[in-house]
Amino acid sequence: MSDVMSDVLMRLEGVSRCYGSGEATVWALHDVTLSIHAGDFVSIVGPSGSGKSTMLGLLGCLDSPTSGSITVGGVEVTGLADAARTHVRGQSIGFVFQQFHLIPHLDALGNVETALLYRDLKPAERRERSMESLERVGLGHRFDHRPVQLSGGEQQRVALARALVTQPKILLADEPTGALDTRNAANVMEILAGLQSDERAVVIVTHDTDIANSAARKVSMLDGRIVSDEVLR
Amino acid sequence: MNVFRDLVRVAMVGLLARKVRTLLLLLGPMIGVAAIIAAVGLTDSAKGDLKAKVAELGTNLVEASASSSFGGQNPTLPRDVVERAMTVTSVRSVAPIVELSNIIVTPYEEAREKYETVPIPVVGADENLPVVLEVPMVSGRWINSFDEGSNARSAVIGVGLAREFGVLPEELRTIDVGGFDYTVVGILDSVLLEPGFDTAVFISFASAENDFLDDDVLPNKIYARVDPSRVDETADALTTAIGLGGPDEVKTDVKSEALELAAQSDRQLQLIVVSMGLLAIIVGGLGIANVMSISVIQRSSEIGIRRALGHTRKIIAVQFLLEAIVVGVIGGICGVLLGMLAIFVGASIAGWVFVMAPWLAPAGVVLAITISVMAGLYPARRAARLEPLETLRLG
Repeated sequence: MSDVMSDVLMRLEGVSRCYGSGEATVWALHDVTLSIHAGDFVSIVGPSGSGKSTMLGLLGCLDSPTSGSITVGGVEVTGLADAARTHVRGQSIGFVFQQFHLIPHLDALGNVETALLYRDLKPAERRERSMESLERVGLGHRFDHRPVQLSGGEQQRVALARALVTQPKILLADEPTGALDTRNAANVMEILAGLQSDERAVVIVTHDTDIANSAARKVSMLDGRIVSDEVLR
Repeated sequence: MNVFRDLVRVAMVGLLARKVRTLLLLLGPMIGVAAIIAAVGLTDSAKGDLKAKVAELGTNLVEASASSSFGGQNPTLPRDVVERAMTVTSVRSVAPIVELSNIIVTPYEEAREKYETVPIPVVGADENLPVVLEVPMVSGRWINSFDEGSNARSAVIGVGLAREFGVLPEELRTIDVGGFDYTVVGILDSVLLEPGFDTAVFISFASAENDFLDDDVLPNKIYARVDPSRVDETADALTTAIGLGGPDEVKTDVKSEALELAAQSDRQLQLIVVSMGLLAIIVGGLGIANVMSISVIQRSSEIGIRRALGHTRKIIAVQFLLEAIVVGVIGGICGVLLGMLAIFVGASIAGWVFVMAPWLAPAGVVLAITISVMAGLYPARRAARLEPLETLRLG
């Protein structure tokens, strides 16, 4: 595991996040420091309440820490206004969720294209890139199917294509196999494992130790703290 | 530019994906605008032909007639009434007439027994009358100075009387006027401001004096065309100018006034129906706000994922507003068309002229858009404020 700064895609430094105030304050995350490097295939694992969802929100620039600093590609995002944070999110991060979160009235291609909207792209170019992304997850032939016409595994692959089409630096997957049967789960994990590259990291947030152990690096959490950070392969 | 196109496209796709909901959204502004347009248009159309007539006839014809204050018979105007009237500077042209009463007119002498012998108006006039009234001849000519000077018994008859007597255009005919044979030299077209002239017989002042009057002929009425911007003042001034020193009173009347009054749209009715239309459009707006608010809740997951994919709050808000604007534009246009159809059908059934003020169409669309945008503001704000972390139910 190299610690060369240029390789660090994202860094959390002494990050804490609390909800509520006064007596009712809940510390979801305590002084967490973590670096995500290009080429990483990391799993963040922990039981419910361990703070991994909070971690996901922060890693995904969906939330701001109460204290500490988060940098994405060397850019400090902690103090950024919502619009600027949204921009960083759109440029650097791709999301895959347990519940897929596809837009029901759009077909597979339309769902993938949604990630490329408002980016000043010509429709033809957007379409082409989206088709490529769908083909990459093996769903090129089902581009005109709506979510209801697709199986769970296929839906999650469409979500993967949507996350990939923006060429994000970090692919964040939240329990990506949680709603899938074993066979589809294995298929999705296989695709995920092949997605990290010299420029990209794949981060899986899960409570499933089997899934967590299939990653190259495992970060274990408990009670809002990182309790271990081990390289498995 | 590409971004704007994306916004419009997503709004259209979003609306088309939920057709029933979109249709319900459209109904409010559509019915409201249609009601308002139909209300204004139909009330205008009801009086459309009258309005056109008033515009055609002009509103500057003033009548001044002698009226006896002592209940005396046959009051007259002074001999020099035309010169007196012309002293009013805003008077442009004047034509005097004398109305003769109790004269029986029949198509020919022998018809007296068979024909109805109700007296019809016989009018002594000079050559100016059709000019001042601005009425054309159906055929033939008007009474001229030769008739006046030669004592020839020439008559012009109104188009209604011509029809009744079966006088054909250009036909050489004589009619019996109070026992005298008069040659019909022309047929006068309808005078809308003086409907009685339709069935009148016009003869020269000389003939009137020779055949029907014991005294010298004196006019009892004049028609004056006056400066259109000073009609009422001129009417007042005429009373004074003509009446000075005479024994009889002079009454003036602006001929188009009654017609204008009749041509006015029923403002109260219009106001009531427009108010109902406004109410419909406001209720429609509330409907849009309501349906869109529910839609924001239903689509919270979609909004959350869009936010996660990098769409800003502003984009989300504009997206929802744009849906409202599209609803306003389409609803407005459909409403205008529906309103026009209502006017057309209503006017056809009632036999009116189709009248629709040109400003109604753009005003209707603008109103629909305004209402829709106002209704869309609140749901758009709510949509923009949704936190992706909450709507996506992470973990």
